[in-house]
Amino acid sequence: MLPVTLLPQTMTADQSDNKRYTTRSRALHLLLMWLLLGLASPVFAQDDLPTLDLQRPMRLDFSGSWEKDFGRSDKWEDELNRMLRIRQEQATRQQAGLNGGGGPAVSLGNINVNSGRSGESIFDLARLAEYISRQTIMTITQNREEIRIERRGEAPLICSIDSGPIATFSSPHGSEVCGWDQQQLVFRITLPDNLQITHRFSVAADHTQLRMVTSVSSNGSAPFNLIQAFNHYEAPEEEFNCVLTLSRGRVCSRGTELP
Amino acid sequence: MTVLKTQRLWLCHLCHFILPATLLALTNCAAPVNYDVEVEIPSVGEVALNSSDETPEDWKLLDIGVLIFGTEQQASVRNQIGENVFAEVRDNERHLLPFSLRNTLVDSNQWGAVRVLPQADPSVDLLIDGRILQSDGTQLQLAVTATDSSGRQWLNKTYTDRTLATDFPESTDFRNRNRRNLSAVSEPFTDLYEQIANDLLLARNELSENQVRQISQISQMLYAADLSEESFGDNIQRTADGQVTIVSLPPVNDPMMRRVHEMRERHYLFIDTVDEYYEALYGDMRDSYLLWRRYSFDQILEERAAEQRAVTQERYSSSSGYLTLTQRYDRYRWSKIYELEYRELASGFNREAAPAILELNQQVHGLSGTMEEQYLQWRRVLRQLFALENDAR
Repeated sequence: MLPVTLLPQTMTADQSDNKRYTTRSRALHLLLMWLLLGLASPVFAQDDLPTLDLQRPMRLDFSGSWEKDFGRSDKWEDELNRMLRIRQEQATRQQAGLNGGGGPAVSLGNINVNSGRSGESIFDLARLAEYISRQTIMTITQNREEIRIERRGEAPLICSIDSGPIATFSSPHGSEVCGWDQQQLVFRITLPDNLQITHRFSVAADHTQLRMVTSVSSNGSAPFNLIQAFNHYEAPEEEFNCVLTLSRGRVCSRGTELP
Repeated sequence: MTVLKTQRLWLCHLCHFILPATLLALTNCAAPVNYDVEVEIPSVGEVALNSSDETPEDWKLLDIGVLIFGTEQQASVRNQIGENVFAEVRDNERHLLPFSLRNTLVDSNQWGAVRVLPQADPSVDLLIDGRILQSDGTQLQLAVTATDSSGRQWLNKTYTDRTLATDFPESTDFRNRNRRNLSAVSEPFTDLYEQIANDLLLARNELSENQVRQISQISQMLYAADLSEESFGDNIQRTADGQVTIVSLPPVNDPMMRRVHEMRERHYLFIDTVDEYYEALYGDMRDSYLLWRRYSFDQILEERAAEQRAVTQERYSSSSGYLTLTQRYDRYRWSKIYELEYRELASGFNREAAPAILELNQQVHGLSGTMEEQYLQWRRVLRQLFALENDAR
């Protein structure tokens, strides 16, 4: 079983068993096959091959067009109910003295849905998680330098391919940091009043499925996690390539990319 | 095997612990930072250019070289993805802003030839060197030094100018009929350049006629020594602090000096041409740069307003609830969308400037590299030519 820390902070082991990918083993197989193919094919001209930068970490391919798989995605109401049920069970155990005093303080005889010190309820956090991950389509471009995730109505999430957390945006309204947790791409957004939003992306090694886990927490509270599953699809190619200029506005050309 | 597995598990746990912890630390770092408080340099305000209707006497007409400006890494520039686009804007400005100063000096009608130069040039009487400390739609701050050929410093000062909305065109749509209006818009930071020009004039007026004439003589001998150090090096004396004095002057009819004059004329032709290239660059980039500054002005005002709103909201709004949370997220979302649009506009400006910069660096036949490199090659060619001609005679 994967260590629990790999998954969003409060995701249970059961949930992880049901929904996790075998990404790591698939990636290893892929790497091995790639190495074997490379050894068995000395006929390739070296000039045709891109230079392999060993300093740069290898990443799985997230690129392409992705559409939401509603069947495999969490529904926020169900997820909220599940969380509340767990809390109720904890409260019951605590009341029965089975918890040994090590668990979180949960009010007895009632479900305390106020998870944060500032008073944001788990209900509000759940609705916010749904609000910020409501997009049904996303387009991802990825090259050797960076990865860019475009979702309608949202500013793109952009991160470097390199390891190490990188500050990607900062304003009085919040800041964003991104980084890689092994082959998972993580964006952490911090809003005023210590409202934390984390998007964690992982892709199947066969490039057919993608998963985005959105976690929302407030003031150090336990996060609410919402898993969205996406399937790869072939989007029609853009007919025009457009670039923005200042004095001529958006300039488009057909076919070849503008410089 | 068990040991290996345990080690792997331990490393795994370590990674999973370290990344979120580092992310959290960086998130805190990414919050607005208070930089050292610097003394604010007052704006030059409204300035009237001290210009002359009549051409001044010959001895006053010193030749001026305005060097391509340098830049300074700003403390406030955050190391974020996409920030390099602003470094590229700054690099384009280095080539563009000196020409605005050059135009103001020409307009004042107080000087000899005024040229933009890629490198320090021994043939000019007065060299102006500028560093861009701050440049955006709201403020331009330049550190300027001006030194004459004798090593005397005329200026060493930081200038700041701030803009108002009225300094910019009202509309940013200049694609068709409005294009003419754009050409009519004057440089938003004119006052700053005019203040520099006035200060230079003041410095010149403090010198005696003899001192000004000496400057011309020294630059002539410096140019001669640059062509042939062994022939003319002994005529001048340089001190450790950069002061230059003439020890002796060659006879008026000296044939070597006559050849130096000829070479200097050729050199003038070259640097005039280089100056024309910078003029062409200025012409190509001016409109899009003006628009870029207008966008920058709007963006900065919006940022300031957002900061103010954020402070006000923090002070008066501590309510929770779904609506508050979504509002908080939406404010963040829109601020990021605006910021990325701003970067896109910066890229748009760079994209438009690129062909002009490329053209500037491709101009001189037979020379290669950037304009700065071509200039150095040219001076080397002149030295070789001078040596060849002397050997032949």
